[in-house]
Amino acid sequence: MIEVNNLVKVFAGRGKPVRAVDNVSTHVSKGEVVVIIGPSGSGKSTFLRCLNGLEAFDDGQVIIDGVDLGHSKTNINTVRREVGMVFQHFNLFPHKTVLENVTLAQRVVRKRGADEAESKAMALLTKVDIAEKAHEYPSRLSGGQQQRVAIARALAMDPKVMLFDEPTSALDPEMVGEVLDVMQQLAREGMTMAVVTHEMGFAREMAQRVLFMDAGKILEDAPPAEFFAAPREPRAQTFLKQVL
Amino acid sequence: MPLKRREAEWPWYALLGLILLALAVGLWVATKRVNYEWRWERVPQYFFYQDEQAQSAPFAGLASQIRPDGADSRVEITPADGGQPATVSVATDTLKIKAGDSLAEGDEIGAQRHWKIGPLTRGLWVTIWISFVSGFIGLIVGLITGLCRLSPNPALRGLAVFYIELIRGTPLLVQIFIFYFFIGTVLNLDRIVAGVGALALFVGAYTAEIIRAGIQSIAKGQTEAARSLGMTATDTMVHIVLPQAFKRVLPPLAGQFISLIKDSSLVSVIAITDLTKSGREIITSSFATFEIWFTVALLYLAVTSLLSQLLFWLERRFARSD
Repeated sequence: MIEVNNLVKVFAGRGKPVRAVDNVSTHVSKGEVVVIIGPSGSGKSTFLRCLNGLEAFDDGQVIIDGVDLGHSKTNINTVRREVGMVFQHFNLFPHKTVLENVTLAQRVVRKRGADEAESKAMALLTKVDIAEKAHEYPSRLSGGQQQRVAIARALAMDPKVMLFDEPTSALDPEMVGEVLDVMQQLAREGMTMAVVTHEMGFAREMAQRVLFMDAGKILEDAPPAEFFAAPREPRAQTFLKQVL
Repeated sequence: MPLKRREAEWPWYALLGLILLALAVGLWVATKRVNYEWRWERVPQYFFYQDEQAQSAPFAGLASQIRPDGADSRVEITPADGGQPATVSVATDTLKIKAGDSLAEGDEIGAQRHWKIGPLTRGLWVTIWISFVSGFIGLIVGLITGLCRLSPNPALRGLAVFYIELIRGTPLLVQIFIFYFFIGTVLNLDRIVAGVGALALFVGAYTAEIIRAGIQSIAKGQTEAARSLGMTATDTMVHIVLPQAFKRVLPPLAGQFISLIKDSSLVSVIAITDLTKSGREIITSSFATFEIWFTVALLYLAVTSLLSQLLFWLERRFARSD
């Protein structure tokens, strides 16, 4: 479903250029849940953002469902429809109601009619258990509620892959559970997912594979049971000691 | 004990009242000093006035009958050579004949009165519509320029910067002269078109900077969220960024528009009869200099405060999603 070959992303900036993603190759199969962990600044978010072209990469290849992102004939918007993304800070559209947040892209991008988009939206909002707030503005919702709406908004496009960029990092602790529940439900339904997170519990329970990243490289790629029991890399060992 | 003691506010209101009163008294004393004779009663006629049109007998004949008709009188004239009688309607207090008088053709019977719009009202209307039309065009120009200013294309960006700097770096009065005497002559423009064009370009440059700032103030995450859903750059701009930016720039935009209403007084220099020019023209015939200028100022004030109220209301309506 996702194939990454020798991906490189360099941030120029002032001073020395930083190789945020340094020659990374990996793949995510259909229906697989892959969790990416690592210390902050390790390039995991940047890596994830390269997967739907939000971050333009400098070298290498990203292939989503057979489509090469870097190819000159590829329309990035067509690829992005198939790749849902959930952000750390939710990024709901504050001037639109919850329902409008979920219907907008369906109508503009998928060209669905108002009725179809709305019934689809209501079904998804029911699924993430927030249907009763459909006509509220996002500012009236708690962080956990907003993040669930953001998940529904991404799902409304019927994506083949879902990317989660630290979806619970900006939440108050008591709201983390409600978002993880929705993600677990998705994983059980067979959604292909790439998740950057600090929730080791989620990684242990739901992931088929854990990728450990540091300094722009994937240092370990192992099933969670194996990784959490006995990480091979010293840096992974240090990291786990700090977070667990 | 509360952290901050609440002090009574009424003494300050009293002070405010006192200061305003002192200003009014000062103004009154000042006008006494210059020995100016106030003739406020002359002002209303420049808003609306009754026009008198003299009416005369259409042919020689006899005023056979005069019937009152409200404040008017209907005079029936029977022609001397027989034939159909004619009726002339005039205001009763201007009536110059009695029933039974015989009239020669062209004899004055009296006058008809009609309400007419005075020069101040007409000038006010010109000021309002010139401001609105140039404000509307300026908003569109500003939106396009603001978007060009943020374009990745160096040519578009350069043009936008050039235009904005050109307009912001020169006085509006000079721009109006250039627009009228140079561009107007080259393109054979009407003075109204030249005036509206100069104002629109002027307000467009300032609006462009306001809109650019508004767009840049919208968090990057908004664009990213929209693009991650597969929306195009244009869709993202139209559905996500601009509506939020517009809401945010409404207060400075309102200020710009209120400025425009005041700045529009400068078009009087190319002989457009707006409120200011009407005022100047009236003064040459009435000599009520102080009264007219005060009235003109009050009219501008009325329009601008009405507009700020309207925009304040609009702002609150937009605040629903906050």
